[in-house]
Amino acid sequence: MTQTAAAMEAYNAYWANSIIPAADVLWMVFILILAIVALWQARTFVSKF
Amino acid sequence: MDLKALKKQESKRKISKGYMWAFFCALFWGIWYLPGTVVWVLNPFDKMNSAIAETSGDGIALVVTAVLITAFNALTVMLALMVWNGVLGKYKELGRTLREFHTCSKWFFLASICGGPMAILGSFIAMGFIGGSFAAVAGLLYPVIGSILAYYWYGERISKRAAIGIAVIVLGGVSIYGGGLLNELSSGNVPWIGYLGGLMAAIGWGTEGAIAGKGLDISEPDAGLTLRFLGENIIWWIIIVPILALVGFPMYSFAVQAFEPLTLLILIFAGITFGFCYVTWYKSFPLIGVGRGQGIGNLYGFCAVIFIFLFFGDVPDWTIILGGLLCIAGSFIMFTEDTSALETLRGD
Repeated sequence: MTQTAAAMEAYNAYWANSIIPAADVLWMVFILILAIVALWQARTFVSKF
Repeated sequence: MDLKALKKQESKRKISKGYMWAFFCALFWGIWYLPGTVVWVLNPFDKMNSAIAETSGDGIALVVTAVLITAFNALTVMLALMVWNGVLGKYKELGRTLREFHTCSKWFFLASICGGPMAILGSFIAMGFIGGSFAAVAGLLYPVIGSILAYYWYGERISKRAAIGIAVIVLGGVSIYGGGLLNELSSGNVPWIGYLGGLMAAIGWGTEGAIAGKGLDISEPDAGLTLRFLGENIIWWIIIVPILALVGFPMYSFAVQAFEPLTLLILIFAGITFGFCYVTWYKSFPLIGVGRGQGIGNLYGFCAVIFIFLFFGDVPDWTIILGGLLCIAGSFIMFTEDTSALETLRGD
């Protein structure tokens, strides 16, 4: 099933009022950065404890 | 440096790392509300909701759709946790913990029942019936449940400071529920099932924390948490989804349709945020205790409101902001207790 026009309109509406430019992409970038930092900290933790 | 000073230094390092993991949990949990909210408007979940609503009504449609979303959430969390364990080289430990079912795995399977069918589903129901900001802060009451359970189960003493913290969190919860309820009552539209979802989230996560604390006495958190999600996947995909399909809901036809690029992408990000939030939550428990881990983790409500404001541009109602602030203040009161009290809190 592909996304309908109504579904895409509702999806895009969520990011339309964001105070951050390109919010529909940047939230994913933010999560990836946070995940990499957490993994790095976890590896450091494993080696120290 | 003598042995006593070394032990004190080691303890301080562990507590500091414990707080760091709990704060990671709050960040991941807070930002999970972005994919957790937008997934509802995407197909097949949007179509599924409409199709079931035509025959069974809006309430049933939302709960059944929430079951399928939660089941997919559990599946993508499992994928994220396999990456986590792979990066940390924990696959052998995972196998070893899985084989030790009677000694430790049983606690994680029990935790999966409280955290899955009760808490996560409840959170989705609250989100679907009321909204993302409400769902985020409604679950903030969970440390109260966790502390009470720890008191009656482990004989964990509740200090005066902890009791004050709990009372402030309860006040925050009253503000969250009461404020929203008054608005809904005045408009003549009370989505009670949304409030029930919020309550399920608080009781489920509080109970899960206490149970996990018991299991983590004898196992490693990364492996233990992965088993907890293995249990949750079994509950959704082998028990609940087939039962709903047998009753007549089109679970499998819509589940197959979820393999669509945008829907999958959102589900994967929901899995990363939720999986990493949970694993950091569990990692904090052996280091700073369940109460403190839950207290700092409770900052997720504040983080969610901030992320929802930043990325959605939604400004929450003042009652939700006030409730969230009170809950955070209560959490701070709890975790700023003297650290030397940590070892003496456990009764058994």
